[in-house]
Amino acid sequence: MKIKDAKKPSFPWFGMDIGGTLVKLVYFEPIDITAEEEQEEVESLKSIRRYLTSNVAYGSTGLRDVHLELKDLTLCGRKGNLHFIRFPTHDMPAFLQMGRDKHFSSLHTMLCATGGGAYKFDRDFYTMADLRLRKLDELDCLIKGVLYIESVRFNGHSECYYFENPTDPDLCQQKPYKLENPYPLLLVNIGSGVSILAVYSKDNYKRVTGTSLGGGSFLGLCCLLTGCSTFEEALEMASCGDSTRVDKLVRDIYGGDYDKFGLPGWAVASSFGNMMCKEKRESISKEDLARATLVTITNNIGSITRMCALNENIQRVVFVGNFLRINTLSMKLLAYAMDYWSKGQLKALFLKHEGYFGAVGALLELLNQS
Amino acid sequence: TKMAACSRIGRGGHSMDKSITLPADEIFRNLENAKRFAIDIGGSLTKLAYYSTVQHKVAKVRSFDHSVKETEDDPLYEISVQEEITARLHFIKFENAYIETCLDFVKDHLVNTDTKVIKATGGGAYKFKDLIEKKLKLKVDKEDEMSCLIKGCNFVLKNIPHEAFVYVRHADSEFRFQNTHPDIFPYLLINIGSGVSIVKVESEDQFERIGGSSIGGGTFWGLGALLTKTKRFDELLQLASRGQHASVDMLVKDIYGGAYGTLGLTGDLIASSFGKSATADKEFSKEDMAKSLLHMISNDIGQLACLYAKLHNLTRVYFGGFFIRGHPVTMHTITYSINFFTKGEVQALFLRHEGYLGAIGAFLKGAEEDNPNQYSWGENYAGSSGLMSVSPELNPMQRARSGTFDMLEMDRLERQLVNLPLLQDPSSYIPDTMDLTEDAVAREYWLFCFEEALEGVVKRAIASQPDLPQTRERAEKFSQKYRHKLQTLRHQPFAYGSLTVRSLLDTREHCLNEFNFPDPYSKIKQRENDMALKYFQKAVKSLESLSWEQRQFALVKGLLAGNVFDWGAKAISDVLETNAGFGFEEAKRKLQERPWLVDSYNQWLERLKGPPHKCALFFVDNSGIDIILGVFPFVRELLCRGTEVSSFYEHSFVLRSHLHCKCALSLTS
Repeated sequence: MKIKDAKKPSFPWFGMDIGGTLVKLVYFEPIDITAEEEQEEVESLKSIRRYLTSNVAYGSTGLRDVHLELKDLTLCGRKGNLHFIRFPTHDMPAFLQMGRDKHFSSLHTMLCATGGGAYKFDRDFYTMADLRLRKLDELDCLIKGVLYIESVRFNGHSECYYFENPTDPDLCQQKPYKLENPYPLLLVNIGSGVSILAVYSKDNYKRVTGTSLGGGSFLGLCCLLTGCSTFEEALEMASCGDSTRVDKLVRDIYGGDYDKFGLPGWAVASSFGNMMCKEKRESISKEDLARATLVTITNNIGSITRMCALNENIQRVVFVGNFLRINTLSMKLLAYAMDYWSKGQLKALFLKHEGYFGAVGALLELLNQS
Repeated sequence: TKMAACSRIGRGGHSMDKSITLPADEIFRNLENAKRFAIDIGGSLTKLAYYSTVQHKVAKVRSFDHSVKETEDDPLYEISVQEEITARLHFIKFENAYIETCLDFVKDHLVNTDTKVIKATGGGAYKFKDLIEKKLKLKVDKEDEMSCLIKGCNFVLKNIPHEAFVYVRHADSEFRFQNTHPDIFPYLLINIGSGVSIVKVESEDQFERIGGSSIGGGTFWGLGALLTKTKRFDELLQLASRGQHASVDMLVKDIYGGAYGTLGLTGDLIASSFGKSATADKEFSKEDMAKSLLHMISNDIGQLACLYAKLHNLTRVYFGGFFIRGHPVTMHTITYSINFFTKGEVQALFLRHEGYLGAIGAFLKGAEEDNPNQYSWGENYAGSSGLMSVSPELNPMQRARSGTFDMLEMDRLERQLVNLPLLQDPSSYIPDTMDLTEDAVAREYWLFCFEEALEGVVKRAIASQPDLPQTRERAEKFSQKYRHKLQTLRHQPFAYGSLTVRSLLDTREHCLNEFNFPDPYSKIKQRENDMALKYFQKAVKSLESLSWEQRQFALVKGLLAGNVFDWGAKAISDVLETNAGFGFEEAKRKLQERPWLVDSYNQWLERLKGPPHKCALFFVDNSGIDIILGVFPFVRELLCRGTEVSSFYEHSFVLRSHLHCKCALSLTS
């Protein structure tokens, strides 16, 4: 995607995506600032740049995903680095307070925001930080962001990847994927909830369906079942658990494969099905429960996605969203499920910048409209 | 005979010493001739099925040969009560806790020793195999659960009108029964047991499991038990029905502050199930968590069902399995979900006899040599329990089902039922003018009428069998049974599908047959017929004396006057009993002058001037002045024109042979 160099918006350049659980912020740090510019740069702008680029953590919950940083990017005729920052949505008040402390509003910049929070917090931005939001549709932004990052590549590497040999745990490994002629593709965004989009061209897409069983359900249920409180903790537990002690498998019912219906013995017949039994409830660990929750949510997203792909007649599926962050377990499960149940017809693809595409799309809108 | 089931082991491990007394002979009926046993043992309920024969009385008509001579006093025909043997299917549902007692009872009363095997299905079939073999001395022959389910589903859809319904919570009638489509295939069956199976059924023997999901009833139960420390499925549902999911779920408005307008997602839509519980420092109520879980699972199943329905282009989607079985909460959430995901294009359908499908299917597999599928079977309202209310407000006892036995009995019908080929759209044809399930005022009126009339029916019944034994006792039993049925229908008008005047009459007939009163009105009918038949020749002669055009008008008036009689007003029947001919002329005189409310007489007359009709079909009562003096002359005229005539009787026999004979006479004379 080419951004015209006609009228550049004034710095700072932000794109923001305020989701149900996380706020995703992308910040373009210009690195081609001339001495003249440096001199003209107001203090507040400098302070924001310094604050964001010299830290990797902000406040108690804000974090910069340094490993995702896009270096030496040319955007709108300017060279710079693109930074990826996130913090929990419930810390929005603290963020607004910071915006106020750093006199963000004095910069007269337009803040482009997408996600539901752009609407929900619209008034708060105005009353608490004297900032006006330009609200953008989250699905528009998501697709623009995906297409843009895919096109600029990830510091010379491929943004898109897949899992080779998804059905063989020993040989399964991540491989770069060239997403040329990407259309049509199914884009599955797994945030707190899930949206499934069929994308036919750069600006022709539709939301096929969605499900409320998403990342939020995984974390919400894990918190209730295990007493954990963060996504990282929940994933850590899941990685050492065994879901087959919690789930009832086909072989638990039929003693092996259910040949009549082509169901393998290892397939889950009833998620949490073993938990109907008191003795089994008492014999499992928190880790097992976390793993079962992860497997349940992931497989369900897999089967809804597969049905949508069949209904829309699309063979390529790109999974994005922060549920997949540091979550190789789910990605491999999805890769496996797509491949196995479609008999190799469906390909599961993933993108390195998982949850940031909406924010990137918002940033692109900022540069596009001025 | 009484049977006691004692000392069952209660849930939680300790004996609850719960003993019940059951009138077992009223539950496991007709065991003497029982054969072809089948059993379906589920997680909590057992369903026993068997085939039996019942001997009952039927009224038979014998015409006398009148060609030789007729005297004034001889009856024209004779009715004799004869014994007839018909086939009946019995299905009984009871709690697994009573299985041993029930098997004992069955064994003790089984006479037929030809039976060697019992077909078994359901998850518990394996667990109880030894017990069944030991108790009944029958070899257990296991059948695949899914194919039994499908076979049973086909059977009820084909044979039971108003089997399927949509569920409407809080509506005046919770159940909206569906007309059975003449072709039941193809359909989708979503069976929600511990997991979910999605089966596409294309014909009697052709079905395919096209998909499924591991998120099902077991997930609700298992995850629910972990979250709420509540062990029983029913209790979990109760918790859910009291909860508020919005405190646990992240709604669209929690993210957007309102609706997501551009996508048409309303603010109350769930964006992320359990999205608000992702915190360590907040407590959530059991009720709210159960409710959230229920929504999560119901919505998920509904969504998958819709995706499969769309992919396979199917619109009839039936739901079953223990997750659904009679639970208003889950029927409601599934209905909601299907409606949401298909934007109202597909309705979730439920089945009245859903719990029996496996047992019916297993039975059918074992009864193939009797060819049950070649006959039509009708639900016997006298012997079937009917659908219970599922609303806890309406029926607080519903939840505590222990000790209750539910029965379904089906009679083999005389003839295979088919849809009338002349109907434009058999699936939308409703033969009844009033739906008493929906109309509470009309329902109360008709229930009252039938209650009022009961005493008279009992008297007639007694009078109809002066020479048979125990007539009074049987009539009293009939009275009790029918009165009880009427009371049940007052509280549960949906018990046997849509309640109509016709179904009230059928219920009465079934109850009468139950106590061997095939036709309490046979004597009256005969008297009326005799009188009418005596007047018949005169009526025909007087018609023949008219000009062609006058005759046509007189014939039509005769038809209408016949319907005036059918009002059954007491005044008219008094007139009748004294002089049929006079009564009929009186009725004709009482007819309104033309034009009538619906008046196509002129077109009819024009048509008669043309070529004869190829065939005419009459729907008539089986007896009385209206058919003999109103319909017969009309039919006679058609026959003389060369039109073939067939007739449909509302209640079989009595005059069929007579009509044929008379028509034949008319043609040759």
